[in-house]
Amino acid sequence: MAKRYDAVVIGGGHNGLVNAAYLAKAGLKVLVLERRHILGGATLTEEIVPGFKFSVFSYVVSLLRPEIIRDLQLPKHGLEILPLDGTITPLDDDYLWRVNDHGKNVRELRRWSLNDAEVYEEYGQLMAEMGRFIKPILSIAPPDTGKITPGHWLPLGPLAKAFKDLPKKMQSTFIQLMTMSAADFLDQWFETEPLKATMSASGIIGTFQGPRSPGTAYVLLHHYMGEIDGAFRAWGVPRGGTGSVAYAIANSALSLGVEIRTEAGVSHIATAGGRTTGVVLESGEEIEADVVMSSLDSRQTFINLLDEHDLDPSFRDEVMRYKYRGSSGKVNLALNGLPELACKPGVGPWLRGAISFSPSLDYMERAYDDAKYGRPSARPYIDCIMPTLVDPTMAPPGKHVMSCFVQYAPYHLEDGEQWDDAKREAFGQNVIDTLEERFPNIRSLIEGYQFVTPKDIEDITGLSEGNIFAGELSLEQLFFNRPVPGWARYETPVKDLWMCGSATHPGGGIMGAPGMIAAREYLKQRKRGRRAA
Amino acid sequence: MAPRTDVVVIGGGHNGLVAAAYLAKAGRAVTLLEAAPEVGGILRTTSPAEGVTAPGIAHTVGRLRASVVKDLQLSSYGFEAITPAVRMFAPQPDGSAVTFWGDPARTASELRDRSAHDADAFGGFDAKMRSIASFLAYINVATPPDAKSPSIADAMMGLKLGKAFRDLGGKAGRETIRALPMAVADLVQEVFDDEAVRGPLTTRGVLYSSMGPWATGTAAIFLNDSAGTDGGAAGTTVFARGGTGALASALEAAARARGVDVRTGAEVVAIRSKDGRAQGVTLADGTELDAKLVVSAADPKRTLRLCDPVELNPYEVWRAENIRQPGATAKVNLVLSDLPSFNGADDVERLKGRIVVGTSIDHVEQAMDANKYGYVAEDPTLEATIPTLVDPSLAPEGKHVMSILFQAAPRKLRDSDWASERNGVADIAVKSMERFAPGLGELVEAREVITPEDLEADYGLTGGHVYHAEPGLDQFFAWRPLNGEARYRLQIEGLYLAGSGAHPGGGITGGPGANAARQILADTK
Repeated sequence: MAKRYDAVVIGGGHNGLVNAAYLAKAGLKVLVLERRHILGGATLTEEIVPGFKFSVFSYVVSLLRPEIIRDLQLPKHGLEILPLDGTITPLDDDYLWRVNDHGKNVRELRRWSLNDAEVYEEYGQLMAEMGRFIKPILSIAPPDTGKITPGHWLPLGPLAKAFKDLPKKMQSTFIQLMTMSAADFLDQWFETEPLKATMSASGIIGTFQGPRSPGTAYVLLHHYMGEIDGAFRAWGVPRGGTGSVAYAIANSALSLGVEIRTEAGVSHIATAGGRTTGVVLESGEEIEADVVMSSLDSRQTFINLLDEHDLDPSFRDEVMRYKYRGSSGKVNLALNGLPELACKPGVGPWLRGAISFSPSLDYMERAYDDAKYGRPSARPYIDCIMPTLVDPTMAPPGKHVMSCFVQYAPYHLEDGEQWDDAKREAFGQNVIDTLEERFPNIRSLIEGYQFVTPKDIEDITGLSEGNIFAGELSLEQLFFNRPVPGWARYETPVKDLWMCGSATHPGGGIMGAPGMIAAREYLKQRKRGRRAA
Repeated sequence: MAPRTDVVVIGGGHNGLVAAAYLAKAGRAVTLLEAAPEVGGILRTTSPAEGVTAPGIAHTVGRLRASVVKDLQLSSYGFEAITPAVRMFAPQPDGSAVTFWGDPARTASELRDRSAHDADAFGGFDAKMRSIASFLAYINVATPPDAKSPSIADAMMGLKLGKAFRDLGGKAGRETIRALPMAVADLVQEVFDDEAVRGPLTTRGVLYSSMGPWATGTAAIFLNDSAGTDGGAAGTTVFARGGTGALASALEAAARARGVDVRTGAEVVAIRSKDGRAQGVTLADGTELDAKLVVSAADPKRTLRLCDPVELNPYEVWRAENIRQPGATAKVNLVLSDLPSFNGADDVERLKGRIVVGTSIDHVEQAMDANKYGYVAEDPTLEATIPTLVDPSLAPEGKHVMSILFQAAPRKLRDSDWASERNGVADIAVKSMERFAPGLGELVEAREVITPEDLEADYGLTGGHVYHAEPGLDQFFAWRPLNGEARYRLQIEGLYLAGSGAHPGGGITGGPGANAARQILADTK
């Protein structure tokens, strides 16, 4: 006799767990199924090299919605975010170092350009205001552009009014952010190459676009939307690594009565008469539920876990043509000491923040050009942090972990070639060569390493084509087109099958919003259903 | 005592002439001022050799708005359109070629030998492009709304668009919303397998722009190119008998016939205004013309530079200077002693349309990469026509003209200048065309290069941008050329923009001119 639940959540990543916690909070009997032996999905910390804890994929936290932290009492369940301060961009014989101290930044920028030093604050304030304006969009369910259902569009009313009431200057800025390339947008303000390049980086992270690709300006905002303890645009690392975010959410979920099973991979979603009845595990075990919540991306959910005949062919085509195209990789290093920057020797606070390999817009754009034609960047953009400087527990005493986000590493390689061990090794060694140009002593410090290609991301987390956002964040795949045009409201054409992961609005990053909104929308409908019954 | 002038129109390009004609038609006293010795702007022709007429820039006129032709009775002033059966001929490195015909069924049937999949897909793709473009046609005749203070008229327009949108149907509606912000490469890649089909189609999304086919928003350029025309997937190919200049002359005649005072060689050096109200213009020779209405068909940056910066506030000047005009197109005209023969062109019919060199998405992308780093593409994407094939009167007996649009050739070159690059462009154009038309080189009797620098100097196009402002999503519809300035009114009371820098943008459509005239008449009843 199969077990019965109100809701089964597929995937124990942060969104799946958030979703489960909210459903349980509303009194539902919820089961979370995770394929791996460990929770977190891409929000994962693993001890790859003995004694060294790597945040394998995602490595910093900023976007995690404050209401989720409150509602689920995450601090009580072990979440502690240690703020990172500043970003340094090393150059051949100089550097650009920005910190969370306006006065210092202006002084630093004066070395480069009086204009940039002057407009820097104005720019920051404008972007922070834009961030506040756009935030509400992160917590509404997108309408269906094919329908004129008032219920779908009404939530947009206040936004439309808010937009109309914006000062013209901000209105224009908003339009530019939604449509421009990061490079064009920044060119209007700044002239310092390392500044523009480093800022533009946030516009390309996780996308298959370059800083000169239209549509990348929007993501600049994300940097100004992050909050930690209400402090705007702050970034941090969770104590114990990103995985501890997942475990804090999991603990909260458990305390709300959620059941969590690991090593319980779902082989397919069971349907009968066009509605979902539950799931079947790889072990063959059947689990029944009123609703199945998938935190996987749409290709995994609809193509891999459903039978072809469960779906209307045209819907299936929409799913098939959805773009993933993973573009980034990771290099995690176990170091037996602190590396030093050639351009700024010694050990100091500049090593406690992000170290950004982004000397110029051309450097970034050329890195993208390589990827466009299916080659890992000869000289990639790298964003390094050493979490051990704020959280020594991540490595044995005196030793350090360096977490390097690397772009570009295209999932689809030139001439249809596939990623293999040799290619992974070459990719990683090239990243280390690039690091060595700024950290001359780094090789001598390496005790162990982990190279992660988009293929590895796909194999380990199940994210199709290793796209860290579970679907490319290009304009035509945002908001009401996410995860499938016409199905952006977390429901799917298969009754009682819902989506709740990064594949849905508002998309990827350790934000938790998709899981939360999906729970909210489902509970609304369930209530209506009850009333109807 | 100078004759009364209600309206001064700056610039005698097609949009200036169209705006002037419509305003005069409505009874306004209009004076049109063209800096060059002749009107036409990008319709102007050149003469690279004795007895030869070549298009200065634009070589086809298929996007000209039908209502403009009708309202201004252009056919009675000598405009005659020639429409060959073929739209686009795309020769391939392997010696084969793909031909896109006016009749999609014919294109599809020929595609069958290459790829059954693409042959099956072509009809549906063509239909989809037509339905989305038909919706865009609605948008293109509309005056964009004012996001700051939407008026009743805006609301009505919104409802009309809403209805047009609903008429598309749910699925097509979603498809439109999805397609508009796409990259043209994605638009065609998800439908077609064969690079020989993808490449040429993507060139339509980057023509005259500085973007590559992987750039977000290039699908909108592609679709806009088919809006209000029967372009469909292949795009239009329509020639003006007597050359593009004949269309310019027809527009001029139509304007004069309605009483427009057309003055050439009259360069405007200043737009005079007082307390935020337009007063008139000042010419290079010092002449001052007074008029309450000044309508500029020049590009927006150039127009605003003619204004007194004190009249515009610093923020507006900053915005104006940030209008993006990264010109990346050069023009090469070849005079040929004979008709070149192209691989894969069994029949001369195939050469009567646009001959497009864009052999794969990567090829087009690489050609446009050059623009990002400020050098001339070594393997450019080309759009060529042989106007003499459909109109022999354009050259002496037996001779031919090949008009070639060359991308990317950035206005701003890094570590070089146009004086030293000019000839290189022609060499590259001939060399890359010769790969598909063996022996082309020997046929060349004369050649002429129009660089982006020339476009700026001789045609007054700031940044050498043929479309006046980059057709990116950031300079589109309600924010073309600038947010809050898209209703043809430009900053100063009585100053209007009627050129390609205004909605619906560049190309030989007459749309901006016609829309602007309509708006001016509405504003100044």
